Amino acid sequence: MSESTRPRGAVGAPIPKLDAPERVTGRIRYIHEIGLPRMLHGAVLRAEVPHARIVRVDTSRALSLPGVRAVLTGADVPLVPFGHGRDNTALKADFVRCIRDEVAAVAADTEEIAREACRRIRVEYEPLPAIFDPEEAARPGALRVWPEREDNLAFNYHYDHGDVAAGEAESDAVVEGTYRLHYVTHACLGTSGIVAAFDSDGRLTLHSVTQVPFLYRRDMSRIVGVPPEHIRVIQAAIGGGFGSKLDIYPYEPIAIFLARATGRPVRILFDRGEEFRDSPTRQPAIVHLRSGARRDGTLTFRTARLLLDNGAHTSWGATTPFVMMQTFSSLYRVPHAAFDAEVVYTHNPYAGSFRGYGNLQATFPIEVQLDELAESLGIDPLELRLRNAQVPGEVTGQGLVFQSCGLAECLRTAAAASGWEEKRRAYAQAGEGPLRRGIGMASMVHTGGGAKIYHSDGCGTVLTVDDFGSVTLVTGATEIGQGSETVLAQIAAEELGIPVDRFTVVNSDTQVKPWDVGVHASRTTFIAGNAARMAANKARRKLLDAAAEQLGVPAGDLEIRDGDVVRASDGKVLTDVGRVVRKLHFATRYDVVTTTAYYEPPSAMQDPGFKGNVSPTYSFATHVVEVEVDVETGVIRPLRVTAVHDAGRVINPLGALGQVEGGVAMGLGYAMTEDLVIREGRVLNGSFRDYKLFTAPEMPEVDVRWVETADPDGPFGAKGIGEAPAICIAPAVVNAVYQATGRRFRSLPLRPERVALELARGEGEE
Amino acid sequence: MPVTAFHAPSSLADALALLAAGGRPVAGGTDLVVELAAAPDGGPPGALVSLHRLAELRSVAVEDGDLVMGAGVTVATLREHPLVREHAPVLAQAADRFAGPQVRNAATLGGNLCHASPAADLAPPLLVLDAVVVLAGGEGGEAERRVPVDAFFVGPRRTARLPGELLTAVRVPLRGGRRASFQKGGTRPSMDISVVSVAASAELRDGVLRHARIALGAVGPTPLRSPAAEAVLEGAPATAATVAAAARAVLRDARPIDDVRASAAYRLHLLGVLAQRVIRDVIDR
Repeated sequence: MSESTRPRGAVGAPIPKLDAPERVTGRIRYIHEIGLPRMLHGAVLRAEVPHARIVRVDTSRALSLPGVRAVLTGADVPLVPFGHGRDNTALKADFVRCIRDEVAAVAADTEEIAREACRRIRVEYEPLPAIFDPEEAARPGALRVWPEREDNLAFNYHYDHGDVAAGEAESDAVVEGTYRLHYVTHACLGTSGIVAAFDSDGRLTLHSVTQVPFLYRRDMSRIVGVPPEHIRVIQAAIGGGFGSKLDIYPYEPIAIFLARATGRPVRILFDRGEEFRDSPTRQPAIVHLRSGARRDGTLTFRTARLLLDNGAHTSWGATTPFVMMQTFSSLYRVPHAAFDAEVVYTHNPYAGSFRGYGNLQATFPIEVQLDELAESLGIDPLELRLRNAQVPGEVTGQGLVFQSCGLAECLRTAAAASGWEEKRRAYAQAGEGPLRRGIGMASMVHTGGGAKIYHSDGCGTVLTVDDFGSVTLVTGATEIGQGSETVLAQIAAEELGIPVDRFTVVNSDTQVKPWDVGVHASRTTFIAGNAARMAANKARRKLLDAAAEQLGVPAGDLEIRDGDVVRASDGKVLTDVGRVVRKLHFATRYDVVTTTAYYEPPSAMQDPGFKGNVSPTYSFATHVVEVEVDVETGVIRPLRVTAVHDAGRVINPLGALGQVEGGVAMGLGYAMTEDLVIREGRVLNGSFRDYKLFTAPEMPEVDVRWVETADPDGPFGAKGIGEAPAICIAPAVVNAVYQATGRRFRSLPLRPERVALELARGEGEE
Repeated sequence: MPVTAFHAPSSLADALALLAAGGRPVAGGTDLVVELAAAPDGGPPGALVSLHRLAELRSVAVEDGDLVMGAGVTVATLREHPLVREHAPVLAQAADRFAGPQVRNAATLGGNLCHASPAADLAPPLLVLDAVVVLAGGEGGEAERRVPVDAFFVGPRRTARLPGELLTAVRVPLRGGRRASFQKGGTRPSMDISVVSVAASAELRDGVLRHARIALGAVGPTPLRSPAAEAVLEGAPATAATVAAAARAVLRDARPIDDVRASAAYRLHLLGVLAQRVIRDVIDR
């Protein structure tokens, strides 16, 4: 994809999202608005206790309720284990191991009846002792969540490069600490849901909110016993995903079993309480980190030991070390690094994937510790980071290839735009009164074009230019609210020379769209963008060849601009693409302009030691935040965020700005207000009343700037931006709070209560 | 509560008759609807009596030396009404920190008081303003009875309102020279239930504090006044030492609990901080 960039105005234009009018006028159809004839409503009864033996389930009072069409328990459905650890089933027949565990399900004429029927089901439990503390669960002889296993260790990961002991021997300063990251939830405005319908041939249609429609077919097939080729997935507009819909969760096969049992379509929708309690969380983590540097600030080594709470069943949270280790190995140049992570079962709810996929949890300890290292060396935090920042062409110890890398420029731009030097100096003098100010920074690296965790990380595209010059772009990629439809249309429009407003993007039906891995790992702009560009390039050539033949001029003398075929030399309009296609249909060739393309990135699956260039490109960012801390009440007010991102060439500055502002809001919530409180396996604050998102009045001004490195393999030089903005704001806040208060916090969130009480307790480290 | 009927009377007399028959009043519904959604089957079934058509509950006026605010006045109105801002600015201050714009547009003065949450944001300001609530209906028919706000809150979610009675208005006696202030704290500045709230009022004559009142929210079973702090302030010089002593005294009247929103320890800490700030603000105002 190294053809020269021909600026036509589509790439780089701040175009509002194509689906924005549908969304803001309420016309878009979310899963909640999908209704089918004869559709029933499903509801799920979950465990009331975190660990118990199911003695008996009495469904008679549910079955006798008028309007109830089916009641299923673990005895009624196949219990095919699924999930990354093959340790979850749709319903639970013998034991429940966390409060989310599904014990029974009902299909009824209305949602109210279904929920009432669930309340009428009597489950007799024999309560069993439970284990909730991952550190306790990791000890030898601990109560086992799965007695058939030797211990609670679900997964472990080891990675290293270089020689850590040698690195430590060269160090003039070594710092270490333990950092704790908490539970947060995605808080999607649109709750989870599914509609399952069998046709008379036993073929299954799923209206789903999945982020991975093709993998979903394959995995669901095994769970419910329907051949994958008989499963059609139609993706409803997603009302927020952020990773929460990357896995299959039990409610989805349950809906299919209910549809099978009743012979009618069944819809299951989460209510808000279920969305908080029963959808996956961000992976919590305990990180012990140690790192060293020479006197001049050159990093010498880094070691990390992590303990992750797997919960009772395994979802994607257990695989976040895969992403975390990229940051431990490759955020800044570290000659020697070692990383060990253990993931242990407990009776807690389980975590899934969540924007950043472990990278928030990895970047936090590293960036907080870098400030400690800077302080112990007497070097400015900016200086320390610049000294160790990677450069273009870098191949890291893990084998990540940074073919485009704007980290140093992100650092410099963020420092200049935020007034780093003067504010750093000014805030070094502790102020009078309860309000103290500080400024802090942090950076990040994240995959900018997917992660090759399957043998393919590709995406297919089918593009048609019709007889009136309109374009239909059928992409395998999934729209999750991130604006991929718009960006893909812009890329194809730029390549084709046909304006974006003539585009329709089709992306929601596995019966229609070609294969794609799914929406995750900030891959869509890069991978689906390249596929769209390739298909558009083929269509452009075909149009120009046809026009050349029709006009009797060499194709090389022609260009397509704004939907017209023009003479390249002077821009004179000769015909338009609609006319060219019509002639192609009716006269010259009896052909259509429909092209296909499949793009497979030049990334590699990693070896068993986790080495290899997992993504074709990487994005970088630096965030600087200025805070005001009320040291008496503990309230932290972020005054200004400067967010500088290297996302390559920015395809749509408006959409990219939205990604950054949204990510900063999400990251500030992670840093300061959001806290899903889980005690003894139970969620205590499952409502927006008590789960505190960062809301509009709290948001500071966000100054967003771009370092537009042009990635050689990116579509028009672009890289992914989806996850990056959420990743490095929390450590920047902690570093700013340290300057403001002299208190280095090593865990999140910095809720006022914790800040005030710890400051009142006196000086020193946490 | 299973809802058996929804009435929307257009006169106070009709409303009182419906309430006398056992109906439950609903105004903005910002507490009630949440409660109904959380426990649709909780408690005995009953009828709802909506007050939204009763224009007489929505007036704000000065009468007989009192600022009289109808129970149906919304929090948004309290925040902006010129008479409230002139005569009871501390109430407008609390209204400004109350939830978010949508809730403020629906929630009413009467509803906030009758729901009687210990964290009700309008209660501390009204307690320090010596406000009186006006109740109609019940045994007294259409005759009114007046109860000082101080005696209105009798327990968690319980008030002196008798069955069949309707809170129709709140009266705040006008007093020249009175200064007052309100502060609340929580996890975030907006859309948050108070972890602690404090209001104070006093007159300052010749450097001495008179008619001092201090009231606390979310640190006991009801919104409450702090007699210990008021005793410290009454007749005391407006000095930093007085402020500090009163802020310490406040802690003696607080009985906070631990819950998912905050620990008792933080509530006490924050109470001390906010009490100092409101008293200092009263003095400096």
